[in-house]
Amino acid sequence: MKTKLSLFKKILSDFYLVIILIFLYAPIFTMMVLSFNTSKSRTQWGGFTLGWYSQMLSDPNILSALYNTLLIAFVSALIACILGTAAAIAINSMKPVSRTIVMGITNIPMLNADIVTGISLMLAFIAFGISLGFKTILIAHITFNIPYVILSVMPKLKQTDKSTYEAAMDLGASPIYAFFKVVFPDILPGVLSGFLLAFTMSLDDFIITHFTRGAGINTLSTLIYSQVRRGIQPSMYALSTVIFLAVLILLLITNYRPKQKKVLPGADSSSLAAGSGPEKEGPGIYSKLQKAAMGAAAVLIVAAVGFVSIKNYSLKHSDKLYVYNWGDYIDQEVIELFEEETGIQVTYDMFETNEEMYPVIEAGAVTYDVVCPSDYMIQKMIENDMLAEINFDNVPNIDQIGPEYMEMSRSFDPQNKYSVPYCWGTVGILYNTKRLEELGVDPPDSWMDLWDPALKGEILMQDSVRDAFMVALKGLGYSMNTTNLDELTQAKDLLIAQKPLVQAYVIDQVRDKMIGGEAAVGVIYSGEMLYIQEEVKNLGLDYSLEYVVPKEGTNLWIDSWVIPANAQNKENAEKWINFLCRPDIALRNFEYITYSTPNQGAFDLLDPEIQENKAVFPDMKSLTNSEVYRYLGDEDDQVYNELWKEVKSY
Amino acid sequence: MNQPLIDLQHISKSFDGTMVLDDLCLTVKENSFVTLLGPSGCGKTTTLRIIGGFESPDQGKVLFDGQDITHLPPNKRQLNTVFQKYALFTHMTIAENIAFGLKIKNKSKSYIQDKIRYALKLVNLEGYENRSVDSLSGGQQQRIAIARAIVNEPRLLLLDEPLGALDLKLRQDMQYELIRLKNELGITFIYVTHDQEEALTMSDTIVVMNQGYIQQMGTPESIYNEPENAFVADFIGDSNIVPGIMIRDELVEIFGAKFACVDKGFGNNTPVDVVIRPEDIDLVEPGQGTLSGVVTHLIFKGVHYEMEVTTPDGFEWLVHSTDLFPVGQKVDIHVDPFDIQIMNKPASEDEEAIGVNE
Repeated sequence: MKTKLSLFKKILSDFYLVIILIFLYAPIFTMMVLSFNTSKSRTQWGGFTLGWYSQMLSDPNILSALYNTLLIAFVSALIACILGTAAAIAINSMKPVSRTIVMGITNIPMLNADIVTGISLMLAFIAFGISLGFKTILIAHITFNIPYVILSVMPKLKQTDKSTYEAAMDLGASPIYAFFKVVFPDILPGVLSGFLLAFTMSLDDFIITHFTRGAGINTLSTLIYSQVRRGIQPSMYALSTVIFLAVLILLLITNYRPKQKKVLPGADSSSLAAGSGPEKEGPGIYSKLQKAAMGAAAVLIVAAVGFVSIKNYSLKHSDKLYVYNWGDYIDQEVIELFEEETGIQVTYDMFETNEEMYPVIEAGAVTYDVVCPSDYMIQKMIENDMLAEINFDNVPNIDQIGPEYMEMSRSFDPQNKYSVPYCWGTVGILYNTKRLEELGVDPPDSWMDLWDPALKGEILMQDSVRDAFMVALKGLGYSMNTTNLDELTQAKDLLIAQKPLVQAYVIDQVRDKMIGGEAAVGVIYSGEMLYIQEEVKNLGLDYSLEYVVPKEGTNLWIDSWVIPANAQNKENAEKWINFLCRPDIALRNFEYITYSTPNQGAFDLLDPEIQENKAVFPDMKSLTNSEVYRYLGDEDDQVYNELWKEVKSY
Repeated sequence: MNQPLIDLQHISKSFDGTMVLDDLCLTVKENSFVTLLGPSGCGKTTTLRIIGGFESPDQGKVLFDGQDITHLPPNKRQLNTVFQKYALFTHMTIAENIAFGLKIKNKSKSYIQDKIRYALKLVNLEGYENRSVDSLSGGQQQRIAIARAIVNEPRLLLLDEPLGALDLKLRQDMQYELIRLKNELGITFIYVTHDQEEALTMSDTIVVMNQGYIQQMGTPESIYNEPENAFVADFIGDSNIVPGIMIRDELVEIFGAKFACVDKGFGNNTPVDVVIRPEDIDLVEPGQGTLSGVVTHLIFKGVHYEMEVTTPDGFEWLVHSTDLFPVGQKVDIHVDPFDIQIMNKPASEDEEAIGVNE
């Protein structure tokens, strides 16, 4: 009986261990594997490569974010360590009642939601006229790190016998000498674990950094976040892998301890578990080893930080330009070329959604000189007097932009006074030729083909309210900007009727799922068609993916450069826009971004094969029924949202 | 006589409104072994900490060899302290611990080496230089703490219940060690303890303290044999303290029986307290003694028997004797005149507060 029971227990505990390991490490392992994947796809293995690693090392954005992250983590942990230790000593010598109160006060910020801390810090900085930037992030990180240091130093301090300090004084030591020679070594393990804790917290932080950072300053977390729109680049997987391994190694070094010589009973029972150091071993060889490891780690960090800083901050410019663009939406070399040619120093910053960008410009805590929002958002900004008219005398290259695109822009910028088109695209249907053949379905040419019962379980729809309603409204022959409740109700009923046929409502997974052959048709943005078709070729798949703009017309989107009304360097902004309109520069950007360019000069320089790729450059005639999203106002937005909720919950 | 090494003048100290020392005056002569003895909270440790410089008095002065050191920080005083909990530096080796004070004084390496060896020899721990603190037993740690203090050649060594954490056997061994050290080094010791046996064994002078006052100061013999008040009598050893009436000089009445004694000058028919040590009571056959009673309790203690004899008035006398009287036996009590110690009754309530409350 007994052996059976213990066997059962063992199996259970092993099972538990395996489950835990899977839950904890499977995601990290997946990321590591994907960092070596030639294909950008998250589901297809395209062969082994170290390319993402070299791309990571050559991307100045990543390097400067890495530099910022490490520097902020290191400096904030260091300063928090000094302040926190001093505070802990002060608190420890207080009377019990006031000690309890002060400890409570210092602990509250730790329990406080990050978002509250972040917003209140941002408000405080703005209220006191401190411009947001590197130093505000640093101050914020020091602020939230101090409680962690206090928390890990405090128990050590309580353990420390006050009489050792007195004994040192008694033997002739001055109070300061006595502290550093006698008290400090005793609390050092607590200080070190406080430092590591603070370092890690700082490394981890996104929310507080997000609110307290200024133009052009990114840490790794904010950089990764800004890339969400175009899909996170695999070089980020590479970076995360490197960071994970670095932290792992650091952890192994600090926790490696040979078998203890002798432990007094209960000697260590009350010490803080996390990272408690060698306080009881005496000055054996081990503590020397650990000291060496710590020293080496510190030197490495400082060296890395120094190296990157030299690389990044060697240039000093007097002229400045603050650019606010989508994440991963420009060829980095274009910025460098611009800086070289004009001598203007560019501070480049990124956002993930129009909705995120808008309040930043509106609040004016950070003033940007040139911004790249989408169509409907430009309309909203014009309506709210947030944009400055562009002086086209300074933008002679405007004539390189195809007139049809200027015409398209009129729907949100009626007099072409505020915006210059940068990228554009359509929404269409991506279909798997082979799969459709197997199902006996003709290639689609109408939105209504997405209601074909033969495609049951083979359809991927966009999981966003306007895009989903666009499909239904266009299919019904209405405007996708309609606010007519009758038309909208019909569209809603249509979407509900389609639900049984839909495999999934997704956003950027359409790309990966279609490449992976998981569905026959999907509604997709045209932007990444070049990449998708290349990927299918590279992976040697036995099917092809084709793109079609349905005959009823579609959503035509344009991202354009605008100058905010509060811009400080308006002429530089115009130089920037003019530079980007130059055909050779526009070509470079097209080759990097691969979204359709409105630049006729760049188009003329392209290979005929790409010029004729209808997925990238559809016939203008086929777009006659297409529209640009309009900003509908809050009330009508609300109507859309309500109806969409009905669809999703039906 | 030359001037005292330590002269405490009218020291008062209170913590959070509680008076700990009240107008305390104390002198300590060079090369003496003075013990501050008293129950916890009596102010003995505070007195020591004021001498060591870890507390400053609210009022009064501390003179060291005639110099006012009242406001001198501890690191500037020519004395060293051995702490109750050893207070060794656990991250240093034994040698580093001992060398701590010497390094601060910038002594040469060879001097320090010699001193370490000498000090370890003195405390019988030769060859322990490179051991870690945690590998030592409590007694060994305390000896290192003493070694660490004495290498600095202080003129005065303060010891704050240094043996308190040790077990009985070790404590007794260490007592002899300390006496030996004291004699070899010629340093003045001020020793704090609540253990009266320890105080009696080691000291030249005992200062009995209670509630911030000095109750009595004198040699161990005088403290033991001639306690000046009921508190001292009760705190030092076991005592029978009984109310009595001094009928005239050299005659005292206890529970109606008249005892001859050697004390004089209390006046006639004065109420007094009478102290009789248990070992000074002789039990004799009924009719042969001064006071009659019955043995009500008996314990064998090894060297002697401990008995309780109840007299008709209900008082239980504590008696130590090598002769056995079984429980229930009627006995008489006899006390030799020089074994009877007469004390004044406390004159006021205030004085009583100083007295027998322990």
